[in-house]
Amino acid sequence: MVDQITIVRGPAVKHSYEVLIIGGGVVGCAIARELSRYRVRAALLEKEADVGMGASCRNSGVLHCGFKYAPGTLRAVLDVRGNAMMDDLCRDLKVKMKRIGKLTVALDEEDEPMLGHLKEQGDANGVPGLEVIDRDRMQRIQAGVEGYKALYSPSSAIVSPYNLTIALAENALANGVDFHLGQKVAAITRREPRWEVRTAAGDTFTADLLVNASGLFAADVCRMVGIGEYAIYPCRGEYYVLDRRLDGTLTALVYPAPKKNAPGWGTHLTPTVDGNILIGPTAEYLDDPEDFACTSDVMARLRRECQRLLPSIRQSDYIRNFAGTRAKQTPPEVGGNKDFVIEDRKDLKGFVNLVGIESPGLTSSPAIAEMVVGMVKNHLALEPDPAFNPVRPGSLDFFWELPPEEKAARIAEDPDYGEIICRCEKITKREVIDAIRNPLGARTMVSLKYRARASMGRCQGGFCIPRIVRLLRDDFGWDPEDFLKRGADSPMFVGNMRPDKGGQAHEA
Amino acid sequence: MRALSQRLPPGGLRGDDETPVIAKVEGSVCPKGEDWVRQEILNPMRTISSSVRVRGGDAPLASVRTDRPIPLARIMDVMEEIRKVTVDAPVEIGAVVLSRPAGCDTDIIVTRSVRRPS
Amino acid sequence: MKPKASPIEKIQREVVVIGGGPAGLAAAIAAREAGCREVLLIERDRILGGILNQCIHDGFGLHAFKEALSGPEYADRYIRRLPGAGVEVMDNTIVLSLSAERVLEVSARGALRHIEAGAVILAMGCRERTRGAISIPGHRPAGVYTAGSAQNFINLENIMVGRKVCILGSGDIGLIMARRMTLEGARVEAVFEILPYSSGLPRNIQQCLNDYDIPLFLNTTVTEIIGKGRLEAIRVAQVDGDRVPIPETERTVPCDTLLLSVGLIPENELTVQAGVAIDPVTGGALVDDTFMTGVPGIFACGNVLHVHDLADWVSVEAEEAGRFAAAYVQDRREEPRRRTPVRAGEGVRYVLPQTVSGERDFILSLRVTAPWRDRTVVIRDGGGRTIRKKKMMRLHPAEMIRIPVKKGAGADGSPLEVSVE
Repeated sequence: MVDQITIVRGPAVKHSYEVLIIGGGVVGCAIARELSRYRVRAALLEKEADVGMGASCRNSGVLHCGFKYAPGTLRAVLDVRGNAMMDDLCRDLKVKMKRIGKLTVALDEEDEPMLGHLKEQGDANGVPGLEVIDRDRMQRIQAGVEGYKALYSPSSAIVSPYNLTIALAENALANGVDFHLGQKVAAITRREPRWEVRTAAGDTFTADLLVNASGLFAADVCRMVGIGEYAIYPCRGEYYVLDRRLDGTLTALVYPAPKKNAPGWGTHLTPTVDGNILIGPTAEYLDDPEDFACTSDVMARLRRECQRLLPSIRQSDYIRNFAGTRAKQTPPEVGGNKDFVIEDRKDLKGFVNLVGIESPGLTSSPAIAEMVVGMVKNHLALEPDPAFNPVRPGSLDFFWELPPEEKAARIAEDPDYGEIICRCEKITKREVIDAIRNPLGARTMVSLKYRARASMGRCQGGFCIPRIVRLLRDDFGWDPEDFLKRGADSPMFVGNMRPDKGGQAHEA
Repeated sequence: MRALSQRLPPGGLRGDDETPVIAKVEGSVCPKGEDWVRQEILNPMRTISSSVRVRGGDAPLASVRTDRPIPLARIMDVMEEIRKVTVDAPVEIGAVVLSRPAGCDTDIIVTRSVRRPS
Repeated sequence: MKPKASPIEKIQREVVVIGGGPAGLAAAIAAREAGCREVLLIERDRILGGILNQCIHDGFGLHAFKEALSGPEYADRYIRRLPGAGVEVMDNTIVLSLSAERVLEVSARGALRHIEAGAVILAMGCRERTRGAISIPGHRPAGVYTAGSAQNFINLENIMVGRKVCILGSGDIGLIMARRMTLEGARVEAVFEILPYSSGLPRNIQQCLNDYDIPLFLNTTVTEIIGKGRLEAIRVAQVDGDRVPIPETERTVPCDTLLLSVGLIPENELTVQAGVAIDPVTGGALVDDTFMTGVPGIFACGNVLHVHDLADWVSVEAEEAGRFAAAYVQDRREEPRRRTPVRAGEGVRYVLPQTVSGERDFILSLRVTAPWRDRTVVIRDGGGRTIRKKKMMRLHPAEMIRIPVKKGAGADGSPLEVSVE
């Protein structure tokens, strides 16, 4: 049984770094990737068995255009900049991104002033292409949409948030940043002028600079270094995933015009880059930042909402639920949305602190990374690394998306492309093997799922998981105890039924 | 009153299990019924299926079953014997891998052939 | 470097059967024995037999062979006839797409092929309904499996999925797994069933639950799954007449494994792709009395057409489909077919075939909506005249009813109705 997954990568095992990033969400990985442009000894510590396991894999995957934020705030500036960076970034990292645009809809005349306000704000923020449009144009952008008028933002887009996180991490790794997965920070001690970080696994890391990008746990890490002014109020959002049968129903994002002081965007439908539709998220304040349960009342509410928005929906179209938690900085009584905290602490030299990076954290991530690296430069002379390669190897498309002639050619060269492992999503053995051999060494079923897309279809792994298990056991020598769903605490099996040559039989 | 069901044909019988000696069987639907009800109450017989480990085959297990019914009360004893069996590939359907397990009047036969990998 | 584009291998076959489980095997053999020159059987797994390979319990073949065989043995009876019958097999091959013109794109190790078929027989079977599809609230820990995939792990891959098991759904798959897990040393705490009755065979209730003192709780469902990493417990509650959980009855059952046996869904992705109309009640294609779907030359049989209880009847149905597909390719006459609708009336959940021609005898398959005793299944024509009656002592939704009907029924074109009286 695997107790702790610790994977160390890089030219040599080392624990002394110039920069240590705490937290492997999309922000932490974006910072790692930005740092990897320079000759610097840097590493990222992530407590889970893979990157992106917190909020980064549990959101709508929307790249916001930036009209929702007050001008001059970090959210406004970083979101608009981050959004603009996404074309090049996603192209280089081979991450699917689709600029489908968004309609923020005024359902009636009452909502119209809000549209005007948002457009003004967006213009001031430098959001490109904003237009208030009438019903006819709305219907041409999204067939069947109801509403009086809408604010159209062509720069709004969708992306796979976990693929982006993984891609940033892999590119950072390839360019020399070490990734330590399964390393939860337990204590931080000042050893002037450096830092000493002890992890729950008993390892010690030292660094000149710490970057706190720990998301839902940002306030906990702050307290470890004596910063007590921040608190995180977890706010959970639940989602349903809808079958790909509905792919094409939504050709743009459609959001209702937001109400003042709402904790988020409100429940809406979001198409994904893979052809599913998400409905959600809801908003519920909790104590536990990692309580990702879905609740029956909320699920029922989402189904009712879905019925209203998509009258043609069938019971069989609901294929899965999930939930994520926002790292809010204000309690429910206060509500609203505070601006990002991104600070180079004056009282603690060498501590770059990020707190409350909720929406639009995904969109802002590459711009946040630039800002953070700017702060790092205040402390370290950063020399650009001429060997930096921004391009991640691999293919943007899944194998099944290639034209038939190209598929035939690849199959002829590599027979593993001819064997389909995930029937629902048509994922080949070659793609599954590539995902198993991922550079970060992530080895849970969820890690495999995010990289290969296997088991994300309507049968939810009923067909492919036994085949993947057989593949990992026969071709990679895994034992039943090695199969983990999400991490060390989620073993999938208890053992062999009949004893294997070396292993133990399951005990009654 | 316990309602019993008979395997051949699919259907139901009604039997009285409150007395150790069966005085009367009512409502039986087929000629086999009465004997079967007595058996089912006094000494139920069952066939069981399980697996044995195969070494060197293209599958790790060969499915097996009892070729004759065994007493319900002896099932776990028979299972313990089956668990100890490992065979080498190839094995063919019908092969006996264990004879008279736990003294029961049955053989354990292979129900799916396992070949050596080609 | 991108490989050069390759031409795709294009081949033709008279009859192509998709799926090498009980339906596909029987259909392929029957098509050859009916005189087809070329019958190709495509199977995505490396072995033939489909779901039968993991059904190691007995009870198969009671009608077909008058023996009590396990699933693999039953499959073997057909598999060993394939070479003699001259059926061509492509295993490890998956059908990626099917067009209404009966062109298949298939993928195998080393080759992508396009196959033009004279007739196609759909025999893809079913998949299981998932946790996501029935929206059980709670966390999403490891330890929640569909009963069929747990059966696959234990019987084919030598893997035990857990030690302390609860099962939701008292259909045969859930019951069989209750026994299987118990025999291999797991503790099965209980089987929960949302309906007021079990949909499993009474024999399985006795031999899978009662024999092992595993309690069955009817009118009960799982209301929450608890456990962030690995399953720790489930919450269950009794349900009211509308199958809504009654909060005061909720209780916690500690366990590390939850098996879901909550329904089978015919696997009709390719069917829909080919433009075949689907019956919303069966989840399978609408067919006539030759098992042909609405798309000419595309036939369907077995679980992909409607979920069966007995493999023996799957084989009978598939043999019919095979013979009709053979007749179709040999005949090649495209005459207009009379399609008299057959309707499900009072007490009947569905009927199959959904249209008949009146030109041939056929077997009417149906399922009732609720369990009854001492009722009569009545088939009436459009004028209300009784065509056929069958008195039955026991009717149950879990047991498919098959009634032979003589030709002539439906010949006048007025719809037939089947009801329970």
